[in-house]
Amino acid sequence: MSEYASINEQLDWKKAEVIAAGVDSGAVSSKAVILLDGQPYAFSQIRTRMPKESAFSAINGALAKTDLELKNIHYLVATGRGRTQVPFARETISEIACGAAGAVRIWGPSVRTVLDAGGESCKVIHCTEKGRATAFLWNDKCAAGIGRYMETFADLVQKEVHEIGNIALQSEQFPKLSDFCAVYAQSEALDSIRSEVPLEQVIAAYHYAMAKRISTLVARSGLKKDFVIIGGLAKNPGIIDWLESILNVSRLATKPEWDPTLTVALGAALFADTFYRRT
Amino acid sequence: MNKGKFLAGLDAGHVNTKAVIMREQEILGYCTVPTGFDVVAAAQTALNDASDNAGISRGELGGIVATGIFNDMIKVPPLNATGTVPEYMADAKGALFLNKNSRTVIDVGGNIHKAVCYDQKGDLVDVVQNDKCADGLGIFYTTMAKALGLSEQEMTELALKSTKNLSIAIQCALSAESDAIDLMCQGTDIADVADAVSKFIAERVADMCTYMSLTKEIVVAGGLAKSQAIVKHLQSLIRQDVSVLTHPEYVGAIGAVIGYGGVK
Repeated sequence: MSEYASINEQLDWKKAEVIAAGVDSGAVSSKAVILLDGQPYAFSQIRTRMPKESAFSAINGALAKTDLELKNIHYLVATGRGRTQVPFARETISEIACGAAGAVRIWGPSVRTVLDAGGESCKVIHCTEKGRATAFLWNDKCAAGIGRYMETFADLVQKEVHEIGNIALQSEQFPKLSDFCAVYAQSEALDSIRSEVPLEQVIAAYHYAMAKRISTLVARSGLKKDFVIIGGLAKNPGIIDWLESILNVSRLATKPEWDPTLTVALGAALFADTFYRRT
Repeated sequence: MNKGKFLAGLDAGHVNTKAVIMREQEILGYCTVPTGFDVVAAAQTALNDASDNAGISRGELGGIVATGIFNDMIKVPPLNATGTVPEYMADAKGALFLNKNSRTVIDVGGNIHKAVCYDQKGDLVDVVQNDKCADGLGIFYTTMAKALGLSEQEMTELALKSTKNLSIAIQCALSAESDAIDLMCQGTDIADVADAVSKFIAERVADMCTYMSLTKEIVVAGGLAKSQAIVKHLQSLIRQDVSVLTHPEYVGAIGAVIGYGGVK
């Protein structure tokens, strides 16, 4: 994952009636989104170290691009696995509810199924046209860590994590690896060095195995269209393409103006906006 | 200097490739490089850098002796190893060479771990290796250090300061990682998380050791032997004294040279 912060220069926070923010304290990265009257204003994403410090870094990263200060934010909602570790949040909401709300905001009311494929966990969320989550399925423990293992795998093959998703699509044929567990798949990939399988095929094989693993979760929860994918793995073309072909479904394309990694933080900011207006 | 007196030991592992340069019983230089899915390229780099480290040129090498999981790939051109020594034997010979009183070596590597018992000549008595669910402990350790924003050495030092004795997972690195993240998200102190990670690894290794009786003295080798926190937990789990070999990650490469028996 890359760390960054950005801002929509066309908006002026001094004119805003409601300044709402969401912080998503994830296992691998911490994200912050600030909205001015519901419009996206400032964003940041940083790698999570200890959740509390990283939550501060994430919101400070977004604030640093503006002359806003934390105290100017009217309402802040924290979400994600480390949401209880965000001391400056007024409220905490589950990443399930935030994922649905954020996805419907980005892709519109036709979204019914959201796959959140993150660093540590994958979950499938069903939602209404208003972005209210109605059901969800969380990965079982054996399918944990697919996102972070992707980074570990990139290190092992000595490539950048953003490269391997494209390399994965270069091979038509490749050996099959265990698609039950990332530890098995990783170990089998290492063993394939001996049979002198070309590196592109090893990378393809690993991506296919992980896509297969995620697809079982989606299939089990049932898939209603429209389907969207959020979270860090949504930026990995190897995972996405195979997931679509295994499930025989097309997702709505990623919106260029939205980094899919920020969807859950956006959802939290939308809740913050609503809560502030209610007070 | 007399050409031919130098031998290189090369240990081609899943994660790292290790090379040592030896003259008779003397270790002159060593080097570790990531294997990175190109065993031959990694071996070439490791041999060149180890030769530099020893202050000799590659041309002065009298031969290469290969061991490790991919030793068969070193035997063939372009490297044309003069000999190969099976991994377990290299572990035994290397450990005995580094510690004359040792009879068991526990080797905790990047992807696999094993324990080898041997006699006073370094001949094998018994061997045990991890089951597949416990693969990747070394890789896991590196990943967790990264997740905590620490170097591996810093993680060890912090782990030794922990007083809480927390546990994570009982089976595999995936659930251990998931549990470690949960600890972090509950606001657990970073030292306690580091300690829980170290203890998890020691538990996996200790579980493997229950399948074999360990003869004294017991020594620890492999990259993870450099973590005092893991060794501390391992010692208390198997309830025996263990000592860490000097050059723990080079035990296989050294053992290859010793096991081969010098320049022929």
